[in-house]
Amino acid sequence: MSARAVAAGGGSTALRGVVALHLGLLVALPLAALAWKGVSHGPAAFWGYVTQPAAVDALVRTLWTSALVAVVNGVMGTATAWVLVRGRFRGRGILSALVDLPFAIPTLVTGIMLVLLFGPQTALGGWAAAHGVPIAFAAPGIILALLFVTLPLVVRSVEPVLRELDPAEEEAAQTLGAGSLRTFTRVVLPPLLPAIIAGALQTFARAVAEFGSIVVVSGNVPFQTLTAPVQIFGQVESGAPEAAAAVSLVLLAVALALSFATRALRGRHA
Amino acid sequence: MAHSSGPAHALPQDDIRGRGIRFAARAALVVLAAASAAACGDSARAETAGAPKAGAVRTLVLGAYTTPREVYGERIIPAFQKMWKEKTGQEVRFQESYLGSGAQARAIKEGFEADVAALSLEPDIQTLVDAGLITRDWKAGAHGGMVTRSVVVIGVRPGNPKNVKDWTDLTRPDVEVLTPNPKTSGGAMWNVAALYGAQLRGQTGRGQPGAPAAEALLGDVVRRVRVMDKGARESMLTYESGVGDAIITYENEVLVARKAGKAMDYVTPRSTILIENPAAVVDEYADKHGVRDVAEAFVAFLGTPEVQQMFSEYGLRPVDEQVGARVAGNFAPVQDLFTIRDLGGWPRVTQTLFAQGQAFDRASARLAR
Repeated sequence: MSARAVAAGGGSTALRGVVALHLGLLVALPLAALAWKGVSHGPAAFWGYVTQPAAVDALVRTLWTSALVAVVNGVMGTATAWVLVRGRFRGRGILSALVDLPFAIPTLVTGIMLVLLFGPQTALGGWAAAHGVPIAFAAPGIILALLFVTLPLVVRSVEPVLRELDPAEEEAAQTLGAGSLRTFTRVVLPPLLPAIIAGALQTFARAVAEFGSIVVVSGNVPFQTLTAPVQIFGQVESGAPEAAAAVSLVLLAVALALSFATRALRGRHA
Repeated sequence: MAHSSGPAHALPQDDIRGRGIRFAARAALVVLAAASAAACGDSARAETAGAPKAGAVRTLVLGAYTTPREVYGERIIPAFQKMWKEKTGQEVRFQESYLGSGAQARAIKEGFEADVAALSLEPDIQTLVDAGLITRDWKAGAHGGMVTRSVVVIGVRPGNPKNVKDWTDLTRPDVEVLTPNPKTSGGAMWNVAALYGAQLRGQTGRGQPGAPAAEALLGDVVRRVRVMDKGARESMLTYESGVGDAIITYENEVLVARKAGKAMDYVTPRSTILIENPAAVVDEYADKHGVRDVAEAFVAFLGTPEVQQMFSEYGLRPVDEQVGARVAGNFAPVQDLFTIRDLGGWPRVTQTLFAQGQAFDRASARLAR
């Protein structure tokens, strides 16, 4: 059924109204309130808030760690989906359940877990720190936390597409003399790519907003380990809600741009 | 319910991270308050008609910061209930909420209807004054509205292996320092004000007195800070987990930890600040709930020698001079003890140290280079 046919249907206008109201109340209205707060002191003040050195530094840290996590997730998530769909082995069900687990754990607990495992006083964390790579209260801790809380996104985005893929095409390619790498890059990867990218973009958007685990696992020292969401929290707590709203708007703009990118990508490949 | 307490009481105090949980806890408390107000409708009506009679049940909502949580719950509230029962024949039920001081002030301002606010620092009470919730002169009481004191000290590992003696030792490259972030913890403002003020007065044994040297010292200490936790309690938990060589904290936090059997040493800097914690009746809500008499009695009760003694047993310095003289041996003397008034008072300190782009921001911006 095409979109036009749905629009012509009787109940559809009412349904669209309900959906618009639902999204309007749930998403648009709070965001409008935030935007209003962010610019309430005027454009010059807004610019001042978002270009304040501590805010810029925190934003940059949030963006690069999130981008890195999106890339790692893109690769490892695809591999995980591949194993889950194509693998035939005992324990596949457990593995699949494990993938969803991070979404069921409060992110605060994620932070506590990571500190318990990688804190400087623990065997693992102490060993890593002694080799010059402190994990908890440093950038690696932030990245681990982000990887954990976003784990299912790429896997669950790629899995259904992979399941639709006909293994016969891969067999045909190999029969025609293509190696496994060539088969993967030429036959398997192209149809998966939109799903991988969409999953990676979702990962990025989710990582940019992460607070609960980061506030525990990071040192939160300005210009060292402070991320944008925690910096925003500090602004709220120290009675500067306009500054908090302004920096939030920057994060929001990034998320919005990515959402559009995802949509465009999906649209092209639908 | 005998000794009732709000649901927020059951939540881990400062561990409540994230505003969502706070909102939920606050909402639950408000609902509970409303429910019990309805349940106690009889006494509320009696209130408006005249003095509540003996045998009535009164409900007092206490919005406090987290530090004195144990002493309120274990000692002060039971003692007050006993005293009030003997005096009036009425039962007082308490609903207690404990949050970081700034968060608690905001919660009350945004509609958590506490009858009494006991907070870490004066600016948080001022928030309620500015919001029109505290309308009377809350400083008119015996001790200027303050109920407890403490001093900012440096907690060190047992035996003081890094030989930390004073503020300047916190700038050494071999010393890793913990302090909560003054942006998220009002209490951490005491920490910053303590070491900044010590240098401002020229009492650290390093360099000249004055603001430039004070800001330089602050920057050098911030450079050594490994973890800036959200609040004082979280910072202490991180320290107890083994992170850091030294922690800037309050004397009472160390004394409470020691009381709990934890191995902890501390040094009192030559020059440090006297912490003063206020408590006040929230006039608007106390009148609305018809509990002004109970609320005022409770705040006055906090200043009595009996309660001052209890506070001191939980590591807090009393404001009452007689009790102070009696328990003086429990607290280390400070060579140069100054107050927030010596630094120009809270409005000035908040403006010059903690406002956007001011001393603390500039000191931490030096980390960028």
